[in-house]
Amino acid sequence: MRNKIEIKNLSVTYAAKGGQPFTALEDVSVTVADGEFVCVIGSSGCGKSTLLSVLGGLLPATAGSALIDGEPVRGTGTDRGVVFQHYSLFPWMTAKDNIAFGLKQAYRKMPADERARVADEYLEKVGLAGAGEKFPGQLSGGMQQRVAIARALAMDTDILLMDEPFGAIDAKNRTVLQELLLELWEGGAGGRKTIVFVTHDVDEAILLADRIVMLTNSPGRVGRVFDVPFARPRHRAELVRTHEYHALRDELMAIFFHDVGDKIGGAEVVL
Amino acid sequence: MKRKLVRFNTLLWVVLLAVQFLPDRTEKDALSPAMVWFVVGAGVFMTLLALRIKTAEGLQLHVDVFCAIFACLIAWTLATAKWNLMRESLFPAPGQVFTQMAEDYSKIFINIGSSLGIIAQGFVLGAVIAIPLGLFFGESARFGKAAGYIAVFLGAIPPVVYIPYGIALLPTFRSVSVFVIFLATFWPTLASTMSGVAHIERRVLDSARVLNVNRPTMLFRIVLPASLPSIFNGLGIGLTISFILLTSAEMIGSKAGMGYYVRYYSDFGDYTRTVVGIIIIGIVITAIMYGFNRLQRRLLRWRG
Ligand SMILES: Nc1ncnc2c1ncn2[C@@H]1O[C@H](COP(=O)(O)OP(=O)(O)O)[C@@H](O)[C@H]1O
Ligand SMILES: [Mg+2]
Repeated sequence: MRNKIEIKNLSVTYAAKGGQPFTALEDVSVTVADGEFVCVIGSSGCGKSTLLSVLGGLLPATAGSALIDGEPVRGTGTDRGVVFQHYSLFPWMTAKDNIAFGLKQAYRKMPADERARVADEYLEKVGLAGAGEKFPGQLSGGMQQRVAIARALAMDTDILLMDEPFGAIDAKNRTVLQELLLELWEGGAGGRKTIVFVTHDVDEAILLADRIVMLTNSPGRVGRVFDVPFARPRHRAELVRTHEYHALRDELMAIFFHDVGDKIGGAEVVL
Repeated sequence: MKRKLVRFNTLLWVVLLAVQFLPDRTEKDALSPAMVWFVVGAGVFMTLLALRIKTAEGLQLHVDVFCAIFACLIAWTLATAKWNLMRESLFPAPGQVFTQMAEDYSKIFINIGSSLGIIAQGFVLGAVIAIPLGLFFGESARFGKAAGYIAVFLGAIPPVVYIPYGIALLPTFRSVSVFVIFLATFWPTLASTMSGVAHIERRVLDSARVLNVNRPTMLFRIVLPASLPSIFNGLGIGLTISFILLTSAEMIGSKAGMGYYVRYYSDFGDYTRTVVGIIIIGIVITAIMYGFNRLQRRLLRWRG
Protein backbone atom coordinates (compact mmCIF):
# COMPACT_ATOMS: atom_id res chain seq x y z
CA MET A 1 0.00 0.00 0.00
CA ARG A 2 1.04 3.57 -0.72
CA ASN A 3 2.52 5.56 2.17
CA LYS A 4 0.33 8.49 3.06
CA ILE A 5 2.57 9.79 5.81
CA GLU A 6 6.30 9.28 6.06
CA ILE A 7 8.22 10.50 9.06
CA LYS A 8 11.94 10.12 8.53
CA ASN A 9 14.52 10.55 11.31
CA LEU A 10 12.48 13.35 12.80
CA SER A 11 13.90 15.33 15.70
CA VAL A 12 12.26 18.28 17.40
CA THR A 13 14.09 20.52 19.81
CA TYR A 14 12.28 23.28 21.65
CA ALA A 15 14.29 26.48 21.80
CA ALA A 16 15.69 27.43 25.18
CA LYS A 17 13.36 29.72 27.10
CA GLY A 18 15.69 30.76 29.87
CA GLY A 19 16.89 27.17 30.36
CA GLN A 20 18.39 24.44 28.20
CA PRO A 21 17.05 23.67 24.72
CA PHE A 22 14.80 20.65 25.14
CA THR A 23 14.78 17.72 22.74
CA ALA A 24 11.26 16.37 22.70
CA LEU A 25 11.63 13.92 19.80
CA GLU A 26 14.78 12.25 18.53
CA ASP A 27 15.26 10.26 15.37
CA VAL A 28 11.66 9.19 15.02
CA SER A 29 10.74 7.25 11.87
CA VAL A 30 7.19 6.12 11.24
CA THR A 31 5.22 5.46 8.08
CA VAL A 32 1.47 5.39 7.83
CA ALA A 33 -0.21 3.75 4.87
CA ASP A 34 -3.14 5.28 3.02
CA GLY A 35 -6.33 4.44 4.91
CA GLU A 36 -4.50 3.16 7.94
CA PHE A 37 -5.47 3.84 11.54
CA VAL A 38 -2.33 4.30 13.64
CA CYS A 39 -2.37 4.92 17.36
CA VAL A 40 0.59 6.61 18.99
CA ILE A 41 0.86 5.63 22.60
CA GLY A 42 3.26 6.71 25.29
CA SER A 43 3.37 8.21 28.73
CA SER A 44 2.76 11.87 29.38
CA GLY A 45 5.50 14.18 28.12
CA CYS A 46 7.08 11.70 25.70
CA GLY A 47 6.39 13.93 22.69
CA LYS A 48 3.09 12.62 21.29
CA SER A 49 1.58 16.08 20.91
CA THR A 50 4.85 17.33 19.48
CA LEU A 51 4.73 14.64 16.81
CA LEU A 52 1.16 15.56 15.92
CA SER A 53 2.02 19.26 15.84
CA VAL A 54 4.69 18.57 13.25
CA LEU A 55 2.22 16.60 11.13
CA GLY A 56 -0.38 19.33 11.55
CA GLY A 57 2.12 21.94 10.39
CA LEU A 58 2.09 23.88 13.65
CA LEU A 59 5.71 23.11 14.43
CA PRO A 60 8.74 22.76 12.12
CA ALA A 61 11.01 19.74 12.27
CA THR A 62 14.40 20.52 13.77
CA ALA A 63 16.00 17.66 11.83
CA GLY A 64 14.69 14.93 9.55
CA SER A 65 11.44 15.30 7.72
CA ALA A 66 7.72 14.67 7.74
CA LEU A 67 6.23 13.91 4.32
CA ILE A 68 2.59 13.77 3.33
CA ASP A 69 1.92 12.23 -0.08
CA GLY A 70 5.65 12.46 -0.62
CA GLU A 71 5.75 16.22 -0.05
CA PRO A 72 7.36 17.79 3.03
CA VAL A 73 4.83 19.35 5.39
CA ARG A 74 4.95 23.11 5.01
CA GLY A 75 2.63 24.76 7.47
CA THR A 76 -1.00 24.04 8.13
CA GLY A 77 -3.40 22.87 5.46
CA THR A 78 -6.97 21.79 5.03
CA ASP A 79 -5.87 18.39 3.77
CA ARG A 80 -5.53 17.48 7.46
CA GLY A 81 -8.28 17.61 10.04
CA VAL A 82 -7.20 18.02 13.65
CA VAL A 83 -9.06 17.24 16.86
CA PHE A 84 -7.46 18.26 20.14
CA GLN A 85 -8.33 17.20 23.65
CA HIS A 86 -9.55 20.71 24.47
CA TYR A 87 -10.43 23.87 22.61
CA SER A 88 -10.89 22.38 19.18
CA LEU A 89 -14.15 24.33 19.04
CA PHE A 90 -14.45 28.10 19.19
CA PRO A 91 -16.62 28.96 22.19
CA TRP A 92 -18.21 31.98 20.49
CA MET A 93 -19.59 29.98 17.59
CA THR A 94 -22.55 27.63 17.91
CA ALA A 95 -21.96 23.94 17.24
CA LYS A 96 -23.33 24.37 13.76
CA ASP A 97 -21.31 27.53 13.08
CA ASN A 98 -18.16 25.73 14.21
CA ILE A 99 -18.73 23.07 11.57
CA ALA A 100 -19.74 25.60 8.94
CA PHE A 101 -16.61 27.63 9.72
CA GLY A 102 -14.46 24.56 9.12
CA LEU A 103 -16.28 23.92 5.85
CA LYS A 104 -15.70 27.48 4.74
CA GLN A 105 -12.01 27.09 5.40
CA ALA A 106 -11.82 23.82 3.48
CA TYR A 107 -14.10 24.80 0.59
CA ARG A 108 -13.87 28.53 -0.01
CA LYS A 109 -16.49 28.45 -2.71
CA MET A 110 -19.16 26.44 -0.92
CA PRO A 111 -22.28 28.63 -0.56
CA ALA A 112 -23.59 29.39 2.93
CA ASP A 113 -26.80 27.37 2.67
CA GLU A 114 -24.83 24.35 1.49
CA ARG A 115 -22.48 24.74 4.45
CA ALA A 116 -25.46 24.85 6.79
CA ARG A 117 -26.93 21.74 5.20
CA VAL A 118 -23.68 19.75 5.46
CA ALA A 119 -23.20 20.94 9.05
CA ASP A 120 -26.65 19.63 9.97
CA GLU A 121 -25.97 16.37 8.21
CA TYR A 122 -22.79 15.74 10.21
CA LEU A 123 -24.35 16.84 13.48
CA GLU A 124 -26.92 14.17 12.89
CA LYS A 125 -24.21 11.61 12.14
CA VAL A 126 -22.64 12.17 15.54
CA GLY A 127 -26.02 12.05 17.26
CA LEU A 128 -26.40 15.76 17.95
CA ALA A 129 -29.18 16.65 15.54
CA GLY A 130 -30.91 19.02 17.97
CA ALA A 131 -27.85 20.76 19.37
CA GLY A 132 -26.78 22.88 16.40
CA GLU A 133 -27.71 26.21 17.94
CA LYS A 134 -25.97 25.48 21.24
CA PHE A 135 -22.66 27.06 22.14
CA PRO A 136 -19.81 24.72 23.17
CA GLY A 137 -20.09 26.03 26.73
CA GLN A 138 -23.62 24.65 26.86
CA LEU A 139 -22.50 21.17 25.78
CA SER A 140 -20.87 18.44 27.87
CA GLY A 141 -17.24 17.51 27.17
CA GLY A 142 -18.35 14.43 25.27
CA MET A 143 -20.77 16.40 23.13
CA GLN A 144 -18.08 18.98 22.37
CA GLN A 145 -15.78 16.24 21.09
CA ARG A 146 -18.61 14.89 18.95
CA VAL A 147 -18.93 18.31 17.35
CA ALA A 148 -15.16 18.51 16.85
CA ILE A 149 -15.22 15.08 15.17
CA ALA A 150 -18.21 16.12 13.08
CA ARG A 151 -16.29 19.17 11.89
CA ALA A 152 -13.19 17.16 11.02
CA LEU A 153 -15.29 14.60 9.14
CA ALA A 154 -17.40 17.22 7.39
CA MET A 155 -14.25 18.85 6.05
CA ASP A 156 -13.61 15.46 4.46
CA THR A 157 -9.84 15.63 4.76
CA ASP A 158 -7.68 12.69 3.73
CA ILE A 159 -5.95 12.67 7.07
CA LEU A 160 -7.27 13.00 10.60
CA LEU A 161 -4.89 13.91 13.40
CA MET A 162 -6.37 13.33 16.83
CA ASP A 163 -4.55 14.28 20.03
CA GLU A 164 -6.08 12.40 22.96
CA PRO A 165 -9.54 13.43 21.83
CA PHE A 166 -11.28 11.31 24.46
CA GLY A 167 -8.70 11.86 27.19
CA ALA A 168 -10.90 14.13 29.27
CA ILE A 169 -14.13 12.16 28.83
CA ASP A 170 -15.54 9.86 31.50
CA ALA A 171 -15.13 6.12 30.91
CA LYS A 172 -18.69 5.40 29.82
CA ASN A 173 -18.88 8.21 27.29
CA ARG A 174 -15.39 7.44 26.07
CA THR A 175 -16.53 3.95 25.11
CA VAL A 176 -19.50 5.38 23.23
CA LEU A 177 -17.28 7.87 21.39
CA GLN A 178 -14.72 5.21 20.46
CA GLU A 179 -17.42 3.07 18.90
CA LEU A 180 -18.86 6.09 17.11
CA LEU A 181 -15.47 6.98 15.66
CA LEU A 182 -14.91 3.37 14.54
CA GLU A 183 -18.32 3.19 12.97
CA LEU A 184 -17.86 6.45 11.07
CA TRP A 185 -14.36 5.56 9.97
CA GLU A 186 -15.02 1.93 8.99
CA GLY A 187 -18.19 2.88 7.16
CA GLY A 188 -16.71 6.00 5.55
CA ALA A 189 -17.94 6.50 2.02
CA GLY A 190 -15.19 6.90 -0.59
CA GLY A 191 -12.56 4.94 1.31
CA ARG A 192 -11.19 5.13 4.80
CA LYS A 193 -9.30 8.14 6.00
CA THR A 194 -5.77 7.93 7.30
CA ILE A 195 -5.84 8.52 11.04
CA VAL A 196 -3.06 9.23 13.48
CA PHE A 197 -4.58 8.99 16.92
CA VAL A 198 -2.65 9.85 20.08
CA THR A 199 -3.65 8.23 23.33
CA HIS A 200 -2.18 7.01 26.59
CA ASP A 201 -4.91 4.38 26.95
CA VAL A 202 -3.78 0.90 25.91
CA ASP A 203 -7.34 -0.46 25.55
CA GLU A 204 -8.34 2.46 23.37
CA ALA A 205 -5.33 1.87 21.14
CA ILE A 206 -6.08 -1.85 20.68
CA LEU A 207 -9.73 -1.23 19.92
CA LEU A 208 -9.05 1.43 17.32
CA ALA A 209 -5.70 0.84 15.65
CA ASP A 210 -4.34 -1.16 12.76
CA ARG A 211 -0.93 -0.50 14.23
CA ILE A 212 0.28 0.88 17.52
CA VAL A 213 3.45 2.97 17.69
CA MET A 214 4.85 3.13 21.17
CA LEU A 215 7.02 6.12 22.03
CA THR A 216 9.54 5.97 24.81
CA ASN A 217 10.46 8.85 27.01
CA SER A 218 13.12 11.54 27.27
CA PRO A 219 13.82 12.16 24.48
CA GLY A 220 10.87 10.63 22.66
CA ARG A 221 11.88 7.78 20.36
CA VAL A 222 9.96 5.01 18.72
CA GLY A 223 10.06 2.10 21.13
CA ARG A 224 8.20 -0.67 19.39
CA VAL A 225 5.52 -0.99 16.78
CA PHE A 226 2.72 -3.53 17.15
CA ASP A 227 0.35 -4.85 14.55
CA VAL A 228 -3.23 -5.15 15.69
CA PRO A 229 -4.55 -7.91 13.43
CA PHE A 230 -8.15 -8.10 14.64
CA ALA A 231 -10.84 -8.17 11.99
CA ARG A 232 -13.07 -5.19 11.33
CA PRO A 233 -15.70 -4.04 11.97
CA ARG A 234 -14.63 -4.35 15.58
CA HIS A 235 -16.86 -4.32 18.60
CA ARG A 236 -15.46 -3.92 22.04
CA ALA A 237 -17.77 -6.46 23.64
CA GLU A 238 -16.70 -9.22 21.24
CA LEU A 239 -13.06 -8.18 21.16
CA VAL A 240 -12.49 -8.34 24.90
CA ARG A 241 -13.74 -11.93 24.97
CA THR A 242 -10.93 -13.17 22.72
CA HIS A 243 -7.70 -14.64 23.99
CA GLU A 244 -5.63 -12.70 21.44
CA TYR A 245 -6.91 -9.39 22.76
CA HIS A 246 -5.66 -10.16 26.25
CA ALA A 247 -2.36 -11.49 25.03
CA LEU A 248 -1.67 -8.28 23.13
CA ARG A 249 -2.93 -6.15 25.96
CA ASP A 250 -0.66 -7.90 28.48
CA GLU A 251 2.34 -7.45 26.21
CA LEU A 252 1.65 -3.78 25.66
CA MET A 253 1.02 -3.16 29.34
CA ALA A 254 4.25 -4.86 30.33
CA ILE A 255 6.31 -2.75 27.96
CA PHE A 256 4.37 0.43 28.62
CA PHE A 257 4.83 0.25 32.36
CA HIS A 258 8.38 -1.01 32.07
CA ASP A 259 9.18 2.16 30.17
CA VAL A 260 7.47 4.34 32.73
CA GLY A 261 9.39 2.54 35.45
CA ASP A 262 12.68 3.18 33.65
CA LYS A 263 11.91 6.82 33.45
CA ILE A 264 11.08 7.31 37.10
CA GLY A 265 14.00 5.33 38.44
CA GLY A 266 14.12 1.71 37.45
CA ALA A 267 13.68 -1.24 39.72
CA GLU A 268 12.69 0.51 42.93
CA VAL A 269 9.51 1.78 41.41
CA VAL A 270 6.43 -0.26 42.16
CA LEU A 271 3.49 0.55 39.95
CA MET B 1 -52.24 36.75 39.97
CA LYS B 2 -53.29 38.02 43.35
CA ARG B 3 -49.94 37.21 44.89
CA LYS B 4 -48.24 39.14 42.14
CA LEU B 5 -50.20 42.31 42.89
CA VAL B 6 -50.83 42.42 46.62
CA ARG B 7 -47.46 42.92 48.22
CA PHE B 8 -45.73 45.37 50.51
CA ASN B 9 -44.98 47.70 47.63
CA THR B 10 -48.73 48.02 47.00
CA LEU B 11 -49.21 49.02 50.62
CA LEU B 12 -46.51 51.67 50.37
CA TRP B 13 -48.07 52.92 47.18
CA VAL B 14 -51.40 53.42 48.98
CA VAL B 15 -49.58 55.29 51.75
CA LEU B 16 -47.83 57.49 49.20
CA LEU B 17 -51.15 58.31 47.58
CA ALA B 18 -52.81 59.04 50.92
CA VAL B 19 -49.97 61.30 52.01
CA GLN B 20 -50.67 63.58 49.06
CA PHE B 21 -53.98 64.57 50.61
CA LEU B 22 -52.45 65.99 53.79
CA PRO B 23 -52.41 69.81 53.93
CA ASP B 24 -49.42 71.50 52.24
CA ARG B 25 -46.93 73.80 54.00
CA THR B 26 -47.38 76.71 51.53
CA GLU B 27 -49.35 77.79 48.52
CA LYS B 28 -46.36 76.99 46.33
CA ASP B 29 -46.49 73.37 47.31
CA ALA B 30 -50.19 73.12 46.55
CA LEU B 31 -49.43 70.90 43.61
CA SER B 32 -51.05 67.81 45.00
CA PRO B 33 -53.16 67.19 41.89
CA ALA B 34 -49.98 66.85 39.82
CA MET B 35 -48.42 64.56 42.40
CA VAL B 36 -51.60 62.51 42.63
CA TRP B 37 -51.48 61.93 38.91
CA PHE B 38 -47.81 61.10 39.12
CA VAL B 39 -48.45 58.56 41.87
CA VAL B 40 -51.33 57.01 39.94
CA GLY B 41 -49.08 56.75 36.88
CA ALA B 42 -46.34 55.12 38.93
CA GLY B 43 -48.88 52.61 40.26
CA VAL B 44 -50.04 51.69 36.76
CA PHE B 45 -46.44 51.35 35.58
CA MET B 46 -45.55 49.16 38.55
CA THR B 47 -48.54 46.89 37.92
CA LEU B 48 -47.88 46.51 34.21
CA LEU B 49 -44.25 45.70 34.96
CA ALA B 50 -45.23 43.10 37.57
CA LEU B 51 -47.48 41.33 35.08
CA ARG B 52 -44.55 40.86 32.70
CA ILE B 53 -42.24 39.31 35.29
CA LYS B 54 -42.03 35.53 35.18
CA THR B 55 -39.62 34.38 37.89
CA ALA B 56 -40.06 34.54 41.65
CA GLU B 57 -36.68 36.26 42.06
CA GLY B 58 -37.61 38.86 39.46
CA LEU B 59 -40.82 39.59 41.33
CA GLN B 60 -38.97 39.88 44.61
CA LEU B 61 -36.56 42.37 43.06
CA HIS B 62 -39.46 44.32 41.58
CA VAL B 63 -41.16 44.54 44.98
CA ASP B 64 -37.97 45.61 46.73
CA VAL B 65 -37.11 48.29 44.20
CA PHE B 66 -40.58 49.83 44.24
CA CYS B 67 -40.68 49.68 48.04
CA ALA B 68 -37.43 51.65 48.15
CA ILE B 69 -38.69 54.22 45.63
CA PHE B 70 -42.01 54.70 47.37
CA ALA B 71 -40.44 54.89 50.82
CA CYS B 72 -38.12 57.65 49.59
CA LEU B 73 -40.98 59.54 47.98
CA ILE B 74 -43.10 59.28 51.15
CA ALA B 75 -40.26 60.53 53.33
CA TRP B 76 -39.45 63.31 50.88
CA THR B 77 -43.08 64.43 50.60
CA LEU B 78 -43.60 64.45 54.37
CA ALA B 79 -40.31 66.18 55.15
CA THR B 80 -40.93 68.98 52.68
CA ALA B 81 -44.46 69.75 51.51
CA LYS B 82 -46.39 68.27 54.40
CA TRP B 83 -44.55 68.67 57.70
CA ASN B 84 -42.10 71.35 56.62
CA LEU B 85 -39.08 69.84 58.36
CA MET B 86 -36.54 71.09 55.80
CA ARG B 87 -35.81 74.60 54.59
CA GLU B 88 -38.16 75.37 51.77
CA SER B 89 -35.66 77.38 49.70
CA LEU B 90 -33.17 74.52 49.67
CA PHE B 91 -35.42 71.49 49.61
CA PRO B 92 -38.14 71.51 46.97
CA ALA B 93 -41.08 69.18 47.39
CA PRO B 94 -41.45 66.27 44.95
CA GLY B 95 -44.56 67.87 43.50
CA GLN B 96 -42.55 70.97 42.56
CA VAL B 97 -39.75 68.89 41.09
CA PHE B 98 -42.01 66.76 38.93
CA THR B 99 -44.03 69.73 37.79
CA GLN B 100 -40.85 71.55 36.88
CA MET B 101 -39.64 68.50 35.01
CA ALA B 102 -42.80 68.45 32.93
CA GLU B 103 -42.59 72.20 32.24
CA ASP B 104 -38.93 72.07 31.22
CA TYR B 105 -39.10 68.95 29.17
CA SER B 106 -38.05 70.49 25.84
CA LYS B 107 -35.10 72.26 27.49
CA ILE B 108 -34.16 69.01 29.19
CA PHE B 109 -34.32 67.06 25.95
CA ILE B 110 -32.10 69.57 24.19
CA ASN B 111 -29.52 69.37 26.98
CA ILE B 112 -29.64 65.58 27.11
CA GLY B 113 -29.20 65.54 23.35
CA SER B 114 -26.15 67.76 23.61
CA SER B 115 -24.57 65.58 26.31
CA LEU B 116 -25.31 62.32 24.54
CA GLY B 117 -24.06 63.66 21.23
CA ILE B 118 -20.68 64.39 22.77
CA ILE B 119 -20.53 61.05 24.57
CA ALA B 120 -21.53 59.14 21.45
CA GLN B 121 -18.96 60.89 19.29
CA GLY B 122 -16.06 60.64 21.72
CA PHE B 123 -16.88 57.13 22.88
CA VAL B 124 -17.47 55.64 19.44
CA LEU B 125 -14.36 57.33 18.07
CA GLY B 126 -12.27 56.08 20.99
CA ALA B 127 -13.59 52.53 20.69
CA VAL B 128 -13.30 52.37 16.90
CA ILE B 129 -9.67 53.47 16.98
CA ALA B 130 -8.58 51.67 20.15
CA ILE B 131 -9.92 48.20 19.30
CA PRO B 132 -8.11 47.67 15.96
CA LEU B 133 -4.93 49.22 17.37
CA GLY B 134 -5.19 46.97 20.42
CA LEU B 135 -5.66 43.92 18.21
CA PHE B 136 -2.62 44.90 16.17
CA PHE B 137 -0.35 45.67 19.12
CA GLY B 138 -1.59 42.67 21.07
CA GLU B 139 -0.72 40.41 18.15
CA SER B 140 2.61 41.98 17.34
CA ALA B 141 5.52 40.37 19.10
CA ARG B 142 7.74 43.34 18.33
CA PHE B 143 5.57 46.40 19.03
CA GLY B 144 3.33 44.86 21.67
CA LYS B 145 5.63 45.33 24.66
CA ALA B 146 6.63 48.91 23.84
CA ALA B 147 3.01 49.84 23.15
CA GLY B 148 2.06 48.33 26.50
CA TYR B 149 4.49 50.56 28.42
CA ILE B 150 3.50 53.66 26.49
CA ALA B 151 -0.19 52.93 27.04
CA VAL B 152 0.39 52.55 30.78
CA PHE B 153 2.12 55.93 30.94
CA LEU B 154 -0.27 57.89 28.75
CA GLY B 155 -3.30 56.12 30.16
CA ALA B 156 -2.27 57.09 33.68
CA ILE B 157 -2.77 60.79 32.92
CA PRO B 158 -6.33 61.71 33.91
CA PRO B 159 -7.90 63.13 30.73
CA VAL B 160 -9.41 65.99 32.72
CA VAL B 161 -5.98 67.70 32.85
CA TYR B 162 -6.15 68.22 29.10
CA ILE B 163 -9.18 70.47 29.39
CA PRO B 164 -7.39 73.84 29.80
CA TYR B 165 -4.86 72.96 27.11
CA GLY B 166 -7.64 71.68 24.89
CA ILE B 167 -9.52 74.94 25.26
CA ALA B 168 -6.46 76.75 23.95
CA LEU B 169 -5.91 74.31 21.09
CA LEU B 170 -9.36 73.43 19.87
CA PRO B 171 -11.94 75.76 18.32
CA THR B 172 -14.99 75.00 20.47
CA PHE B 173 -15.69 73.79 23.95
CA ARG B 174 -17.69 70.99 22.40
CA SER B 175 -14.66 69.69 20.51
CA VAL B 176 -12.65 69.81 23.74
CA SER B 177 -15.31 67.68 25.41
CA VAL B 178 -15.34 65.18 22.56
CA PHE B 179 -11.55 64.99 22.71
CA VAL B 180 -11.55 64.36 26.46
CA ILE B 181 -14.22 61.66 26.16
CA PHE B 182 -12.23 60.16 23.32
CA LEU B 183 -9.16 59.87 25.56
CA ALA B 184 -11.20 58.56 28.47
CA THR B 185 -12.42 55.72 26.25
CA PHE B 186 -9.32 55.20 24.18
CA TRP B 187 -6.76 54.30 26.84
CA PRO B 188 -8.70 51.77 28.89
CA THR B 189 -10.03 50.16 25.70
CA LEU B 190 -6.59 49.95 24.14
CA ALA B 191 -5.12 48.43 27.28
CA SER B 192 -7.93 45.91 27.74
CA THR B 193 -7.87 44.90 24.08
CA MET B 194 -4.12 44.29 24.18
CA SER B 195 -4.40 42.32 27.38
CA GLY B 196 -7.32 40.34 25.94
CA VAL B 197 -5.31 39.41 22.86
CA ALA B 198 -2.25 38.53 24.92
CA HIS B 199 -4.24 36.17 27.12
CA ILE B 200 -5.91 34.11 24.42
CA GLU B 201 -5.22 30.41 25.02
CA ARG B 202 -2.54 29.18 22.66
CA ARG B 203 -4.64 26.10 22.02
CA VAL B 204 -7.46 28.28 20.67
CA LEU B 205 -5.05 29.89 18.23
CA ASP B 206 -3.67 26.46 17.27
CA SER B 207 -7.19 25.24 16.56
CA ALA B 208 -7.64 28.17 14.21
CA ARG B 209 -4.24 27.69 12.59
CA VAL B 210 -4.87 24.05 11.77
CA LEU B 211 -7.98 25.23 9.90
CA ASN B 212 -5.58 27.24 7.77
CA VAL B 213 -7.28 30.58 8.39
CA ASN B 214 -5.90 33.65 6.65
CA ARG B 215 -4.90 36.76 8.53
CA PRO B 216 -8.14 38.78 8.33
CA THR B 217 -10.16 35.72 9.34
CA MET B 218 -7.79 35.08 12.23
CA LEU B 219 -8.14 38.66 13.39
CA PHE B 220 -11.89 39.13 13.04
CA ARG B 221 -13.34 35.65 13.60
CA ILE B 222 -10.88 34.35 16.20
CA VAL B 223 -8.78 37.00 17.94
CA LEU B 224 -11.52 39.66 18.16
CA PRO B 225 -14.25 37.44 19.65
CA ALA B 226 -11.75 35.70 21.93
CA SER B 227 -10.69 39.03 23.43
CA LEU B 228 -14.18 40.56 23.45
CA PRO B 229 -14.83 39.88 27.17
CA SER B 230 -11.69 41.85 28.01
CA ILE B 231 -12.52 44.58 25.48
CA PHE B 232 -15.89 45.09 27.14
CA ASN B 233 -14.17 45.61 30.50
CA GLY B 234 -12.22 48.49 28.98
CA LEU B 235 -15.26 49.95 27.24
CA GLY B 236 -17.25 49.84 30.49
CA ILE B 237 -14.51 51.69 32.35
CA GLY B 238 -14.28 54.21 29.50
CA LEU B 239 -18.02 54.83 29.52
CA THR B 240 -18.15 55.34 33.28
CA ILE B 241 -15.23 57.77 33.24
CA SER B 242 -16.76 59.55 30.23
CA PHE B 243 -19.92 60.40 32.16
CA ILE B 244 -17.98 61.72 35.13
CA LEU B 245 -15.74 63.82 32.90
CA LEU B 246 -18.48 65.15 30.69
CA THR B 247 -20.79 66.33 33.47
CA SER B 248 -17.79 67.94 35.18
CA ALA B 249 -16.67 69.60 31.97
CA GLU B 250 -20.16 70.89 31.27
CA MET B 251 -20.23 72.44 34.72
CA ILE B 252 -16.90 74.18 34.14
CA GLY B 253 -17.31 75.84 30.82
CA SER B 254 -20.12 74.66 28.62
CA LYS B 255 -23.26 76.42 27.47
CA ALA B 256 -25.19 73.20 26.96
CA GLY B 257 -25.66 69.77 28.45
CA MET B 258 -27.09 68.35 31.63
CA GLY B 259 -24.11 69.41 33.74
CA TYR B 260 -24.61 72.96 32.47
CA TYR B 261 -28.33 72.82 33.32
CA VAL B 262 -27.58 71.86 36.93
CA ARG B 263 -24.85 74.47 37.42
CA TYR B 264 -26.73 77.28 35.68
CA TYR B 265 -29.83 76.98 37.87
CA SER B 266 -27.96 76.36 41.09
CA ASP B 267 -26.07 79.62 40.43
CA PHE B 268 -29.47 81.32 40.50
CA GLY B 269 -30.50 79.45 43.63
CA ASP B 270 -33.16 77.57 41.69
CA TYR B 271 -32.79 74.33 43.60
CA THR B 272 -35.94 72.85 42.18
CA ARG B 273 -34.33 72.74 38.77
CA THR B 274 -31.04 71.62 40.33
CA VAL B 275 -32.78 68.58 41.75
CA VAL B 276 -34.56 68.05 38.41
CA GLY B 277 -31.17 68.01 36.67
CA ILE B 278 -29.64 65.61 39.16
CA ILE B 279 -32.54 63.16 38.84
CA ILE B 280 -32.49 63.35 35.04
CA ILE B 281 -28.73 62.75 34.91
CA GLY B 282 -29.21 59.69 37.12
CA ILE B 283 -31.98 58.34 34.90
CA VAL B 284 -30.10 58.95 31.64
CA ILE B 285 -26.86 57.36 32.80
CA THR B 286 -28.70 54.38 34.29
CA ALA B 287 -30.56 53.86 31.01
CA ILE B 288 -27.35 53.99 28.98
CA MET B 289 -25.47 51.65 31.29
CA TYR B 290 -28.44 49.28 31.10
CA GLY B 291 -28.30 49.35 27.30
CA PHE B 292 -24.55 48.84 27.39
CA ASN B 293 -24.90 45.84 29.69
CA ARG B 294 -27.63 44.38 27.50
CA LEU B 295 -25.38 44.70 24.46
CA GLN B 296 -22.51 43.11 26.35
CA ARG B 297 -24.63 40.18 27.51
CA ARG B 298 -25.97 39.72 24.00
CA LEU B 299 -22.52 39.69 22.38
CA LEU B 300 -21.01 37.51 25.10
CA ARG B 301 -23.97 35.16 25.49
CA TRP B 302 -21.72 32.27 24.45
CA ARG B 303 -19.98 32.54 27.80
CA GLY B 304 -23.15 31.13 29.37
N1 LIG C 1 6.60 24.84 23.59
C1 LIG C 1 7.41 24.05 24.32
N2 LIG C 1 8.59 24.53 24.79
C2 LIG C 1 9.39 23.75 25.52
N3 LIG C 1 9.14 22.48 25.84
C3 LIG C 1 7.99 21.92 25.40
C4 LIG C 1 7.06 22.69 24.63
N4 LIG C 1 6.01 21.90 24.34
C5 LIG C 1 6.26 20.71 24.90
N5 LIG C 1 7.46 20.72 25.54
C6 LIG C 1 8.08 19.59 26.24
O1 LIG C 1 8.26 18.56 25.31
C7 LIG C 1 7.95 17.32 25.88
C8 LIG C 1 6.93 16.61 25.03
O2 LIG C 1 5.71 17.34 25.09
P1 LIG C 1 4.39 16.81 24.41
O3 LIG C 1 4.65 16.55 22.98
O4 LIG C 1 3.31 17.77 24.73
O5 LIG C 1 4.16 15.43 25.18
P2 LIG C 1 2.87 14.51 25.26
O6 LIG C 1 1.85 15.02 24.32
O7 LIG C 1 3.37 13.15 24.89
O8 LIG C 1 2.41 14.52 26.68
C9 LIG C 1 7.48 17.59 27.29
O9 LIG C 1 8.52 17.29 28.18
C10 LIG C 1 7.17 19.04 27.30
O10 LIG C 1 7.44 19.60 28.56
MG1 LIG D 1 -0.10 15.74 24.70
